[in-house]
Amino acid sequence: MTHGAIIFAQNSDKLDYIKLAVFAAKQVKKYLEIPVSIITDSPGWLTNAYPNHPFDQVVEVGFIETTQYKKFHDGALFAQRIQWKNLIRDQVYDLTPYDRTLVIDSDYIINSTVLKPAFDNHYDFQIYHNSMDLAEWRSNKEFTRINQWSVPFYWGTTFIFEKNLVTKAFFDLITYIKANWFYFRMLYRIEDTTFRNDFAFSVAVHIMNGKTNGGFAVELPGKMTYITDKDMLISIDGNKMKFLIEKKNYAGQYTLAKTTGIDVHVMNKMSLSRYIDGGLGV
Amino acid sequence: MSKGFLIYAEGASYIEQAYALALSIQYSQMGIKSVSLMTQDTVPEEYQSVFHNIVPIPWYDAPGTDFSAEHRWKVYHATPYHETIVLDADMLLLEDISKWWEYLGNHEVRFCNRITNYKLESVVDTYHRKAFVANGLTSPYYALHYFKKTDFALEFYKSLEFVCKNWEWCWTKFAPEEYQNWLSMDLAVAVAIELSYTHDQVLDNTSPLEFIHMKTPLQGWERIDTRWQDSVLHVLNTNGDLVVGNIKQSKVFHYVEKDFITPKIIDRLTELAHGKS
Repeated sequence: MTHGAIIFAQNSDKLDYIKLAVFAAKQVKKYLEIPVSIITDSPGWLTNAYPNHPFDQVVEVGFIETTQYKKFHDGALFAQRIQWKNLIRDQVYDLTPYDRTLVIDSDYIINSTVLKPAFDNHYDFQIYHNSMDLAEWRSNKEFTRINQWSVPFYWGTTFIFEKNLVTKAFFDLITYIKANWFYFRMLYRIEDTTFRNDFAFSVAVHIMNGKTNGGFAVELPGKMTYITDKDMLISIDGNKMKFLIEKKNYAGQYTLAKTTGIDVHVMNKMSLSRYIDGGLGV
Repeated sequence: MSKGFLIYAEGASYIEQAYALALSIQYSQMGIKSVSLMTQDTVPEEYQSVFHNIVPIPWYDAPGTDFSAEHRWKVYHATPYHETIVLDADMLLLEDISKWWEYLGNHEVRFCNRITNYKLESVVDTYHRKAFVANGLTSPYYALHYFKKTDFALEFYKSLEFVCKNWEWCWTKFAPEEYQNWLSMDLAVAVAIELSYTHDQVLDNTSPLEFIHMKTPLQGWERIDTRWQDSVLHVLNTNGDLVVGNIKQSKVFHYVEKDFITPKIIDRLTELAHGKS
């Protein structure tokens, strides 16, 4: 049985996701020691801009013109609307070259071996429900349930699946939910109009569980640790990361935080991009 | 040895709720389906066939107050069964609970002490149960409990009778903080447990007894001053699945709001009970 990781990267008008994916892939190889492949609509940009990229395979998907835009913060005081290409994640079942696949977002920075044992688990589908915000004061209720009336939240950011009939059904279900997003949005009282993988995954897990507390989705080892886009990454040194975390009630002021040996979802992609370019992410 | 469910009801709306609950037992239970109704009311003829026994309230002198707590301790004396699960009328049984009977058969009295909300999250009710918390009492739910006809159970219900008949004194003695100026059966049971020192004999953490409690403050919503039916949609489908806010409800559902029982719900329950769905 083959193991490997997949990172999706579709560049938008203002963000080089391929750059982030190259960095994230190096971290995966360093700590998890598995091959990493990229799914992208811009293989030319990958080979031209990053000729020494670490990818095992490059899986090309057709260019998708998206009309989805999302407001991305870059620290607490700045935000801009940027194209958001997130509509092909459900295709991972067909596109992955591996039997058991770890899928991560390009802004999920692996700094530990915590996910390694998950490859030895013979579960169909492993994903994070539990999470920890590095800003301790911030409520994480938006990442606990998809809203106060509805079902548990699951992070589409990081998951491991084994190719089989059950997971095929799961990804087909996500495709169906995406195709009928307006309906499911209404049904599950989701206020965001844009399609979001986290929500589609959460609804699909709920349905796979027979709309009750079922065992389809098994929790990945550890917790999904994250900073939001209102925080900033300063630097990464070995398995240590430094951040500026938004202060409570003091917009534009930050608290220094450090992590060691913890995988972190760096939602401030601008900051991550600046760090990769060399120097600090602030 | 006979086993069955006992429902206490006084007043037309409670009789209708008891009828709905009995119908839900008929379609959801694989094993024990016998249901008895303890009431002083005249039960409409069309409801009667679903009850195996309609038993009068023993020593009945006057109607009870709001929650008829004055008569509820009498369930031990009224039940026609050797083993009884007592249910509040405003509940539905949605899934087979045969395994519960197996567990409960090893015990003499068991009160439910665990609830969830419709999101199937375990909740500890500190909103309605201030007196329980303030006085360090256990947190039993009379709405779902079990007893077997034994000497121990009889003694326990004698304690409960005493508490119900002397609740003001008992509250002063055992629940003086956050004083409740009414007789509630849950608090009466908690005090009876203190009085008889039977914590380990009537409560345990491994008991399967659990129900979904639909009081709004338990649902984890920001607004707690609404009715749950105004906040989330529900449907009872033809399979007998009750889905609330897109979440399939399990086992025992305590809907609390009386108008949950509509002619449409009764029709669906009737179809399910008669195997027409």
